[in-house]
Amino acid sequence: MSLVRRHWVWLLALVVLLAFPFLFFDWSKGRHSGFVLTLMSEIGVMAIFALSYNMLMGQAGLLSFGHAVLLGLGAYCAAHVVNLVKAGTIWLPTELVPLAGGLGGMFFGFVLGWLVTRQRATAFAMITMGLGELVSAAALMFMGFFGGEGGISIDRVMDTSLFGVAYTSPWQVYCLVLAWAFIAAMLMRLQTQTPLGRIANATRDNFERAQFVGYDPRIVRLLQFTLSGFFAGIAGGLYVLIYEIVTFDTVSAAKSANALLAVYIGGAGGFFGPILGTIVVVLLQSGVSLLSNAWLLYVGVLFIVMVMYAPGGLIGLIFMHVPIWRIGRLRELLLPYARAFPPALMVMLGFVLLVELLSFTTIGAAQGKKFAIGGNVIDTTAPLPWLIALAALVLGALWIRREARGFRERWDALIEDAKRQGVVS
Amino acid sequence: MSAPAVELKAVTKSFGRTEIIRGVDLSIPRGERHAIIGPNGAGKTTLFNLISGRFPVSSGTIAVNGRSTAGLAPQEINRLGLSRSFQITSIFPRMTVFENIRCGLLWSQGYRYSFWHLLGGQKKLNDAADALLERLKLGDRRNLPAGLLSYAEQRALEIGITIAGGAEIILLDEPTAGMSNSETDAAVELIRSVSEGKTLLMVEHDMSVVFGLADRITVLVYGEVIASDVPAAIRGNAAVQEAYLGTVAA
Repeated sequence: MSLVRRHWVWLLALVVLLAFPFLFFDWSKGRHSGFVLTLMSEIGVMAIFALSYNMLMGQAGLLSFGHAVLLGLGAYCAAHVVNLVKAGTIWLPTELVPLAGGLGGMFFGFVLGWLVTRQRATAFAMITMGLGELVSAAALMFMGFFGGEGGISIDRVMDTSLFGVAYTSPWQVYCLVLAWAFIAAMLMRLQTQTPLGRIANATRDNFERAQFVGYDPRIVRLLQFTLSGFFAGIAGGLYVLIYEIVTFDTVSAAKSANALLAVYIGGAGGFFGPILGTIVVVLLQSGVSLLSNAWLLYVGVLFIVMVMYAPGGLIGLIFMHVPIWRIGRLRELLLPYARAFPPALMVMLGFVLLVELLSFTTIGAAQGKKFAIGGNVIDTTAPLPWLIALAALVLGALWIRREARGFRERWDALIEDAKRQGVVS
Repeated sequence: MSAPAVELKAVTKSFGRTEIIRGVDLSIPRGERHAIIGPNGAGKTTLFNLISGRFPVSSGTIAVNGRSTAGLAPQEINRLGLSRSFQITSIFPRMTVFENIRCGLLWSQGYRYSFWHLLGGQKKLNDAADALLERLKLGDRRNLPAGLLSYAEQRALEIGITIAGGAEIILLDEPTAGMSNSETDAAVELIRSVSEGKTLLMVEHDMSVVFGLADRITVLVYGEVIASDVPAAIRGNAAVQEAYLGTVAA
């Protein structure tokens, strides 16, 4: 029972995540929404990937630009293993395919880590970037392992399930992803509480001091990199099971950037930050991209805004409220937030409208698409929509500046009170 | 007679064409509290950096507990039983005070690079860290990020990280620099107690600290040892008076 009490957050999350797809369940046909399940599976995989990235960035202070290499190589390993199982050469339960990916990721994490962890800081970042390009190029050169442009296809229905599950439906795959996401997240969480995890923090904070307490920072980096590769590889193995294909874009710089974006937007400081970031990034990528040609622009703007105004990421923004919550006065922020909401919405809508108008006069026009909001086609050549967008943006910005002053005063007063009560140091 | 704790023979160090350490011979027997003094730029901190392996020597040899440290990395010298603090506070600012101390303990308690021990369950380790925190009078700061401590507290933590691993040879680089009088007194008491039965080598500018603590004093001027003797003899040494103490007293 104490186990439940101690880990209720995890259990609650598990229940919510299992229940969530049923909100989109088509009761008339008795079918899950394939789109929602694939989206959530993608979030699960990318969350593992982002958490593994944070083992380097958040925990060890290592900024990598080539983390997808470990995801991708893990995915390729898993794909080959699945094909061997399918051919009857080896036997492996479907449920353990992600583990095969993990071991592959760990192997490459060690081998490549041997090269890249000789350096830290900027040199490390540059070497990982080069490595990412190298592996991307190699993926098109070594046909046997990477399968060239076509990649490696698999059939996940292997009839080797430990639980007799066929994995023919996205729901079954989603459950497998969820299980592995929880296992991986818990293991990564526990890893932060091991000697290696703590010394990784120490080398991040002050690598020279770590040397003078007996640790070789290079070995710390290498081990951390290898373990990070293991978890990235698990994500890769799941990726293969979801999409039944792995191509060279799993090792690409764009995939690496995804992890970086998720960690920055979510926040590297708290363990759960990267998960929040992943949800935002994947929703923008897979959801908004269906609605808008300019989705990548929104990701970019969000990234810039977060780095500039909230370097602690979403999790940092949440944690900022903890002292006020502790003195039991979080309620007093409700009104200031409510007052800031309309102008914030106005700025956002104005900005989105402006971006969409622009995108429809350029890309949209070339694609022969029409800009429509709720069925009403909007003439992008008329001045009125542009004026509305600009007005909303400018007026909203002015309004929010006014509200910001009051908000800041309230906030500072509350934090000051929290300090006086000794809640904040 | 066992080998000296630290022994330097004809050690030199140059940065480019500038020779900072110009042939230093120094032998510190085990259990001695030894202070190195000298004017600014004499090379005291450089000497520390050479002994602790932060920089390699240009020529000469350094031995710790009778073992040559040539070619050894700082962590390898640390594992020989030598630990150092820094003149500019060097702690792990984003980790808690407790974590800082525990990091100092990990290697000596044999955890190495383990990723299969959960630190929360290591009672002996955690108790040792807490006991040391109490000794440092940082018990009530236990869960604060170290970067938020006051300067004097950070200096105490720095000493704590240095001695946590139980090193027999402790190098302290200006442990009381920038402290108020009362803070200095507290620091001296701390240093006295933690160096009990150990070899202490320290660089210090505060003469009351030096003469209060040291069994022997070495005076370093422009990279050369001009005197190395018991405090009373150093006080009476004319060359020292001229080179260093005189200017302070004046």
